[in-house]
Amino acid sequence: MAISVTVLFALQATFREFPALEDDHVPVPPDAYEKTEWAFTRLMYPSGRHASVFGQTGSWPTDFPKADRQFVQGVRRLTRIHTRSSEQVVDLDGDEVFNWPWLYAVEVGHWSLTDAECAKMREYLLRGGFFMCDDFHGSGEWNVFLESIQRVFPDRPIVEIDNRDPIFHVLYDLGERVQVPGIQYWYTGRIWEKDGKTPHWRAIYDDDGRVMVAICFNQDNGDAWEWADHPRYPERYTSQAYRMGINYIIYAMTH
Amino acid sequence: MFEFLFKYPGAVFQKGQFVLLASWPVWMLAVGVMAAGGLLFWHVRRNRGSLSGARPLAIWMLETAMIALLLFLLWHPAISIATLRPQQNVVAVMVDDSRSMGIQEGSETRGAQAAAVLDGKLLAALGQKFQVRLYRFGKEAERIQKTSQLTASEPATRLGDSLQQVLAESATLPLGAVVLLSDGADNSGGIDLDTISQIRQRRIPVHTIGFGREKAGKDVEITDAVLPAHALADSRLSALVTFRQYGYAGQKALISVRDAGKTIASREVQLKADGAPQSEALLFNAGLAGPKTLEISIDPLPGEENRNNNSLRRLVNVETRKPRILYIEGEPRWEFKFIRRAAEDDRSLQLASMLRTTQYRIYRQGFSDEHELAEGFPAKPEELFAFDGLIVGSVEANYFTQTQQDLIREFANRRGGGILFLGGRFALAEGGYAHSPLAELLPVQVPVNKGTFHRDFSGQELTAQGRASLICRLVEDPERNAARWSSMPQLANYNDVGEVKPGAVVLMDVAPAGRHRMPLLVTENYGRGRTAVFATSGSWRWKMWQDHTDVTHTTFWQQLMRYLVSDSPGRVAASTARAVLADETKATLRAEVRDKAFKPVPNAVVEAHIVGPDGAATSVEMTPVASEEGAYSADWSAEKPGSYVAEIVAGRDKEELGRDVAIFRREDGVAENFHTGQNRELLKKLADETGGRYYSASNAAKLADEISYSEAGITTRETKDLWDMPAVFFLALVLRGSEWVLRRRWGVV
Repeated sequence: MAISVTVLFALQATFREFPALEDDHVPVPPDAYEKTEWAFTRLMYPSGRHASVFGQTGSWPTDFPKADRQFVQGVRRLTRIHTRSSEQVVDLDGDEVFNWPWLYAVEVGHWSLTDAECAKMREYLLRGGFFMCDDFHGSGEWNVFLESIQRVFPDRPIVEIDNRDPIFHVLYDLGERVQVPGIQYWYTGRIWEKDGKTPHWRAIYDDDGRVMVAICFNQDNGDAWEWADHPRYPERYTSQAYRMGINYIIYAMTH
Repeated sequence: MFEFLFKYPGAVFQKGQFVLLASWPVWMLAVGVMAAGGLLFWHVRRNRGSLSGARPLAIWMLETAMIALLLFLLWHPAISIATLRPQQNVVAVMVDDSRSMGIQEGSETRGAQAAAVLDGKLLAALGQKFQVRLYRFGKEAERIQKTSQLTASEPATRLGDSLQQVLAESATLPLGAVVLLSDGADNSGGIDLDTISQIRQRRIPVHTIGFGREKAGKDVEITDAVLPAHALADSRLSALVTFRQYGYAGQKALISVRDAGKTIASREVQLKADGAPQSEALLFNAGLAGPKTLEISIDPLPGEENRNNNSLRRLVNVETRKPRILYIEGEPRWEFKFIRRAAEDDRSLQLASMLRTTQYRIYRQGFSDEHELAEGFPAKPEELFAFDGLIVGSVEANYFTQTQQDLIREFANRRGGGILFLGGRFALAEGGYAHSPLAELLPVQVPVNKGTFHRDFSGQELTAQGRASLICRLVEDPERNAARWSSMPQLANYNDVGEVKPGAVVLMDVAPAGRHRMPLLVTENYGRGRTAVFATSGSWRWKMWQDHTDVTHTTFWQQLMRYLVSDSPGRVAASTARAVLADETKATLRAEVRDKAFKPVPNAVVEAHIVGPDGAATSVEMTPVASEEGAYSADWSAEKPGSYVAEIVAGRDKEELGRDVAIFRREDGVAENFHTGQNRELLKKLADETGGRYYSASNAAKLADEISYSEAGITTRETKDLWDMPAVFFLALVLRGSEWVLRRRWGVV
């Protein structure tokens, strides 16, 4: 597969606001345009036939941008990663994604990647990119997720991550984990959604045993980041979501 | 002509001492000349008649010169010279009998020409005055009775050794001179100063007679090939092949490197002008671990006179060791991840990394166990010096204690390791390195002020040195390699490193848009080791912006890391004086032994276990080198041709300090294939340095007359009159004749 690369004149995109698409508006931080080593990179993907729930915008901006901007405050405070206060939104249509080796997507139980986007995603991951997906629940959404991800890697299995895997210990020891619920927990009192009662931390590995795709299934770390400042959202879930997210970032920057 | 005019050979004037034999003092001669000049001046002035201007002065000068000449002759000028007493002195005649004397030039070989010179007149003429001892020599001298015993079969020429041997044999004899007939094609690197000094002390003139053409007709000869003595497995290596040619200028030739007969690298080159030294680099992969005998050759060209000098062999010990590199990184960043990946893909490297993920946590990867450096960056020499290389990432200088900074300096200086400083927001000037003791280690003079780290994309360009460097070689062809670099993705960021220190080498520049070029990759040697700066943390874009199958980033980083460690010595560093013993047997083994802190160990027990080509093993005890603490050496005789592997083991108090391997090879019958042209320069220098004279074969007959003048042996001092030299008569004639001609012309006769 040949990916055309605009080699010499490729420039890195800077922060850009998406006011019309924001799910949960928060002010733009004053240092939003700072050039840093790492930025929270959110994947803008097409939801296609699965977009009906989210309307025209699709599902990609769920929790956006508050979850992103609130989570990076934790990354800044808790680690030595040079972190931007604002998120970066990228898609798989252009090559900009190659400037951001850590990528996050939410609600991938509704995504619908094109073949070209699958190919771009595959190339991104094989070059060394890391993809964390989150906030999808139950067997129905799992099947939707599979439909696209299996076109990214038709030949690579999705496996449960062993508790001893470095991704759970690279900074915080997360050998014991709990299911992180979404905001619906306030109304329903349930920590699961649909038929997704059991949380799964799954992954797709490369040939050298490194996690390329970290799949947070039946859990909602995005909501835990987004509502970390709300007294009704339990602290223990926020803590794990922050720690899990930070571990995934540091793992991506070390493996 | 000289001898006709001056009555004696030039050697008389060169070696003799000028004297005035008259009993009158020399000052009287000067007074006489001045008085005669004054009288003549008065006389000429008074009787100048019609002469005017400079004409009387010319007449006066000619007459004064004539009177001065006559007075000079009255003082009886002569040369006093030491002369060998007839039949009381020995003259050693040494004839080169090496294989190069068998080279046919014209209708005869060089050896035949030498025999003809000797049998023609020279031996007989010498025999009339001296006792002649005839020798043939190659690797050593051997007495012979007649020239028919010359065979031109000796496998090597050792002029110095042979001369020393003849001098030693004749130490009790009145040796008056040495006559040496040779093409000067010495295989031992010339004649050492000790030999020359010894000859001069005994005042023995060595007269040399040269044979052979100085330049070959049509020939290509490899004069040298430089390869590293040791390498890591799978390394990219360079063979720097030096050669010259005669008769093929402008033509193409194919240079190859072969391992066990299999070509592992080859390149077609265009040959330069006749006689001009030409150097070309060939790159190849070292392959799997083990000693390798590589043949470097140039394919013979049509009509070559000597095809035996088209190839030579070199040894490379491809090591089994896996050097360890310690990488300390001050913050999580993408560069770290991709450097680690490049190292993990290299079977010959081990990378242990310490990453400061948070204020309180260091994430460790690649260590041998959970206890190794668990306390953080090493504070003891034995901990840091266990590594071969060190990478310092985005870490402030003051993160290291004073002790650790001293250790880092000694890591390069004493341990001989390689240190790479990366760019970053806490690195170099940003990390306060300009004011730290670590500034001395850097190959650049980092700026004092901060604000030198730029998160802007920038291209990179190889410098001329970078084009030649193995670190930056992505593809074998230099032009394609440079083009490859110019089409690389841009770096994500860069540091302004300031001025490059004298002696440092810039391999790559950053070329930011709208700014001047700045050094990016700079290397230098420091103490026993080496240091480098790679002033960016953004080379990861070379990985993320190229197809996942592209290995550019991996190759570059593996080569950079190998540069750091491939020459880092172990605690025992073994070497040989010569890796290839060309027609000689003496191998000198050497080892430097150091303790865990890499301080020299003077009281070690050092043994070399040598396995020869037939599998036979021998052990040799190595003895300390007097002038060098921690150095040990041993001489050993390689009795059979082939490859030898010497494992040197050092111990102290039942503890093994370390071991290393040196390889060498004895080759017979090769030395005389090289440097076959007459080395006139060497023969002339030998004669000049010892008071002798260089003769060509055509004027060698004069030697019989001139050889008598020597201060060695049993001599008598002779006085040779100069007044009756024809030159004096002609001078007087010229002076008087000139005056007569001038007077005729001016009408005052």
